[in-house]
Amino acid sequence: MSRQSTGTAFVALLRRDFLLAYRRRAELLQPLVFLLVVVTLFPLGVGPSPSLLANIAPGVIWIAALLATVLSLDSLFRSDFEDGTLEQMVLSGQSLALIALARTVAHWLVAGLPIVLLSPLLAMWMNLPDEGLLILIESLAIGTPVLSLIGAIGGALTVSLKRGGQLLSLLVFPLYVPLLILATSAVSSAAVDLPYTGQLGLMLAGLIASLTLAPFATAAALKLSLS
Amino acid sequence: MSHTPFIVAAYLIGAVVLFWAAMAPVLSKRSFLRQLKNRQTRMEKSQ
Amino acid sequence: MNPIYLFFHKTGSPPWFYKYSGKLVPFLWAIFLVLAAYGLYLGLVVAPADYQQGESVRIMYLHVPSAWMSMMIYGLMAIMGFIALVWRIRIMEVLVISSAPVGAAFTAIALITGSLWGRPTWGTYWVWDARLTSELVLLFLYFGVILLYNAFDEPRKAARAASLMSIVGAINLPIIYFSVEWWNTLHQGSSMGSDGPGIHPSMLLPLLLMATATKFYYGANLLTRARLTLLKQDHRKRWVQDLLTEESH
Repeated sequence: MSRQSTGTAFVALLRRDFLLAYRRRAELLQPLVFLLVVVTLFPLGVGPSPSLLANIAPGVIWIAALLATVLSLDSLFRSDFEDGTLEQMVLSGQSLALIALARTVAHWLVAGLPIVLLSPLLAMWMNLPDEGLLILIESLAIGTPVLSLIGAIGGALTVSLKRGGQLLSLLVFPLYVPLLILATSAVSSAAVDLPYTGQLGLMLAGLIASLTLAPFATAAALKLSLS
Repeated sequence: MSHTPFIVAAYLIGAVVLFWAAMAPVLSKRSFLRQLKNRQTRMEKSQ
Repeated sequence: MNPIYLFFHKTGSPPWFYKYSGKLVPFLWAIFLVLAAYGLYLGLVVAPADYQQGESVRIMYLHVPSAWMSMMIYGLMAIMGFIALVWRIRIMEVLVISSAPVGAAFTAIALITGSLWGRPTWGTYWVWDARLTSELVLLFLYFGVILLYNAFDEPRKAARAASLMSIVGAINLPIIYFSVEWWNTLHQGSSMGSDGPGIHPSMLLPLLLMATATKFYYGANLLTRARLTLLKQDHRKRWVQDLLTEESH
């Protein structure tokens, strides 16, 4: 069988992932509904005081985004692992890091991007000041891909485990800490007209670093899980 | 406020944790070897 | 064959490792006890109380070395994990997984002693300062590695997964530390620890003694755990059977 070019393989993988995602679109809505519900719980839990909500808004929205992402990560490689497709991918001779990257990109487009799109709604619920909204969207746009990239490593490590989902969240949450700190700081600063570009810049650097490094770690983890 | 109870508590807890961490493999090894010997003598008896 | 190369080659063999590390362990414990006894004597009895903090600064002689060890062990786990993954050396896998509980213990001690130090000095048991917060995240990283290892059925696969996780964690650790430190300055937290204009020599010596002592503790505990793991993993193999019959005679 002739080796396809890397680009063709990448596109083929993306198309397959979108097709599969479309077929289970109800399942994909679950983490997003979870996101909405979690954010709703906060005013119910801490009281609807506008100033309090505005204060905690960046943190609450970002933590809810973390939780929702982790929910969607568990199934990232699982079904392909279970039916043997993952093994075939490893044997295919295409770069495993590329396959991991394709899967991660698909995951972000299907799970992370909707979070970015839902954020104005969440910002409204949490009474985030208008000055913070644009930066919230930007921080999520830069940050959610990082969540997918790092989360894919955890997903690959736990894919062969029966109760992998819980362990996955424990593994990736410490790794998410810097991102959480930078993102919430950016949004909080923007909301009170303080400088925020430094934080966004660091997040961008983190995105580039994850983009170049994480797929290799994910590939190593996949090979490990399949061994 | 006297600082002594805090110092004592800190070193006591530290000692307990370090002692437990040091002893755990030792005790585990002993029970493992005991299990192994029991299994072997049982196997020898049944043969 | 070059003797150094031969030495490293031999350490990769489980029976060789088991035998010679067993001889080393008592010495490591002995050195640990001597250094710790002297260090504690100097720190608790001889050294002066701090000008600002009073007697509670004596907790530093346990807190700071524990914190140093918690980070050093994680770094070592990452390095050994890298060697284990790249060169597939089984002993390295065993050493990685044997280090994790020791590192977690030191992290827990650093957190608890830090908390107890904070209460008389700053009035509160917990404060979200940079160092304590980073230590807490580090504890979670340790738990993650340990839980990941225990989730797998097959020991070598489990050890390799744990190795990969410690490498990923170690790469992130400086980033986590700096981001938490930066976060702390944002929120004007109070900082823990007496990093004043330089530490008094009478306090430095016990600190260094305790720091060195903890390294010997780690060595002794690590080798003890590694030997047990090898014994358990290889209990069907010939060298273990021979060892058991040897010991019972």
